[in-house]
Amino acid sequence: MNIALHSGAVMYLFLISAFLLLIVFYFFIRRREKEIIKEKEESTRHLYELTILKELGERVGYSLDVEEILQIITGSLRQFIDYTAVGYIVITPEKVKINTHIEKSVSHLFLKEMKEKMIASLSALTDKSFDDSRLDEAVSGAIVIDEMEQNIGSLFNIPLVIGGKVVGVLTVAHIDSGLYKEEDMTILYKITGQASGAVSRLQEVVKIEKGKLNAMVESMQDGVLMVDTEYRIVVANPAIKKIIKFNPSPDENKEVNIFNFVDALGGKFDIHGRLEEALVNKKTFVSERINIDDSFFEIGVSPVLHLMPKGGSQMHGAVVVFNDITRDIELERVREEFTGMIVHELRSPLDGIKKITESAISGNIDRNSDQFKEYLNMIYQSSASMLGLVNDILDLSKLQAGKFEVNKEKANIKEVINNRILFYKISADVRKISLEAYLDDSLPDFFEFDPRALKQILNNFISNALKFTSSNGSVLVSAFLYDPKEYFPKDFDRTKAPVFPEAKDINVKKPSLCVVVSDTGIGIPSDNIKDLFHTFKQARLSPIDKESKGTGLGLVIAKGIVEAHNGTIGVVSKEGAGTSFFFTIPL
Amino acid sequence: MKKILVIDDDQFFPKTLEAALPKAKYKLISAEDGEAGLKKLISEKPDLIILDLMMPKLDGSAFLKKLQESKDLPKVPILVSSNLSSIKKISDVMSMGVVGYVIKSDESMQSIVQDIERVLGEEDKK
Repeated sequence: MNIALHSGAVMYLFLISAFLLLIVFYFFIRRREKEIIKEKEESTRHLYELTILKELGERVGYSLDVEEILQIITGSLRQFIDYTAVGYIVITPEKVKINTHIEKSVSHLFLKEMKEKMIASLSALTDKSFDDSRLDEAVSGAIVIDEMEQNIGSLFNIPLVIGGKVVGVLTVAHIDSGLYKEEDMTILYKITGQASGAVSRLQEVVKIEKGKLNAMVESMQDGVLMVDTEYRIVVANPAIKKIIKFNPSPDENKEVNIFNFVDALGGKFDIHGRLEEALVNKKTFVSERINIDDSFFEIGVSPVLHLMPKGGSQMHGAVVVFNDITRDIELERVREEFTGMIVHELRSPLDGIKKITESAISGNIDRNSDQFKEYLNMIYQSSASMLGLVNDILDLSKLQAGKFEVNKEKANIKEVINNRILFYKISADVRKISLEAYLDDSLPDFFEFDPRALKQILNNFISNALKFTSSNGSVLVSAFLYDPKEYFPKDFDRTKAPVFPEAKDINVKKPSLCVVVSDTGIGIPSDNIKDLFHTFKQARLSPIDKESKGTGLGLVIAKGIVEAHNGTIGVVSKEGAGTSFFFTIPL
Repeated sequence: MKKILVIDDDQFFPKTLEAALPKAKYKLISAEDGEAGLKKLISEKPDLIILDLMMPKLDGSAFLKKLQESKDLPKVPILVSSNLSSIKKISDVMSMGVVGYVIKSDESMQSIVQDIERVLGEEDKK
């Protein structure tokens, strides 16, 4: 019995403890289950958070449109938070926009309350009143049913901050009260934070880029003007303000407007009409040359269209560019002058020949007379000068086309110079000018250069020197090895060349052959010196002897030859004292 | 006897012109640039000036300008003879009160002589 009782008690105890164990186990399981659910919930939320952030990242990525971002956020909220309505309020430059999406039908009252709460929240955050602002409202989603007399039970606002400034509020509302917990809000905070961070960064980038663009437009030589669709000026760079002479004193605080342009351009260019063409008909226009004061412009007007990704385009305004073509026109004029001069120089001798032969043919001249001989001499001189000019033009065109051939060979510069001295001796004697050479001992016997081309330079230098020197003057051709460290030959008699290049004039870094042709002539006015070696711009100088005139092409060709030898060319001159033309060729 | 002043830096032109002009009717004097031309205009008082344009020192256009601006210089008919043929140049010069423009290379000596005779003939009628 005892045993039975005993065993019964044991059994009982066992059952109890088993039961207790079961209960403990049950609770443990339950708790674990809860934990698992919670973990699951958390990981779901986490996953959601990640997904939405990723999605946002992708979609928001390069969007600067705050509204678009808000739409993306509100659009994807449903997967995560239960709500009756979600909306946003956002400040745009023109107005305040409110956009609400209703998930489950609500009354007008509900919407009104929500709207008021949104405005109040934005007002509190920005410290501004929006009572007078233009409100642009939009409601989407489920239909509004006024019979549903349910007020807002739960609501929370999330501010949208861009670049440190509140630009809008995101609002989530539900008819049930006490629904939204900390976590829900945290996530939304995170999402909006992420989005606004992205936008802020992008805006910063845009600001920097805009700054660069502005700096570029500001520094442009061309005048740039941009107007919006209402003809309000968006951009007007300093160049364009200068063109229309818009320069109010700083204290006047005046902004340039379209009427300044209309007034300044007057009847020369119908800026308003052209802008209208661009804005309304999307037409681009480029003007003929327009003269404003001393300058010439080509004015281009084009619409500024933004092509939408979905097709179509949005008109932003129109841009006007004043392209300054004054220099081009100047160049054109100089070219024309040059061509005119060449034509003149070719025609004159040819015409001379024609006129003389005309006289001879008409039989007015006795063939044995002195006059006839003089005429023959004239024909000879005319044809020689024309041939010279034709050769110069050919050389020049070769130089300009980069086809001037330099045939370097081992040659003796002393020989070349002596040969030229001999050649010009006769005409120097006729003019009673002393013509001498100074060939320094430092000169190498042979080195590489094109003797034919150097002869051509010497011809030009020497004949010029003779042309501009009066009788009893002197012309000296000196050649030496120029070492930048040592400067000039020691036993060189400077009295024969009163104007001689100094080290700063020669200005070469490597040891070079230096040839100088110095005269005691009339000198060149300093204004003319810089143009001497430029095509199209010959100094009009007055030679001593009226027979000698030239086109000045010779110096341009000489420069080309010297440069083909990697050398330099230059001139020093003093009015009334003399001139030295020189060139260097590196050894 | 009419005096003709040729202002031209081309030394051949006055010589060939002289040869072509009837010697009994005309006396030809020459100046090699505008400056010398001005001096001879005053000292020689010619009946006609044949003026080149491209010249050293004082060119043809500058010479014409001086004549226009001056009240003291004698008024003499001027025939421009040049090898410059740009329309702009010709119209510029024509607007400066010259009686004619001859593109030298386009005309024979004979037709230049005819131009001279025509201009001087018209002057006589005045």
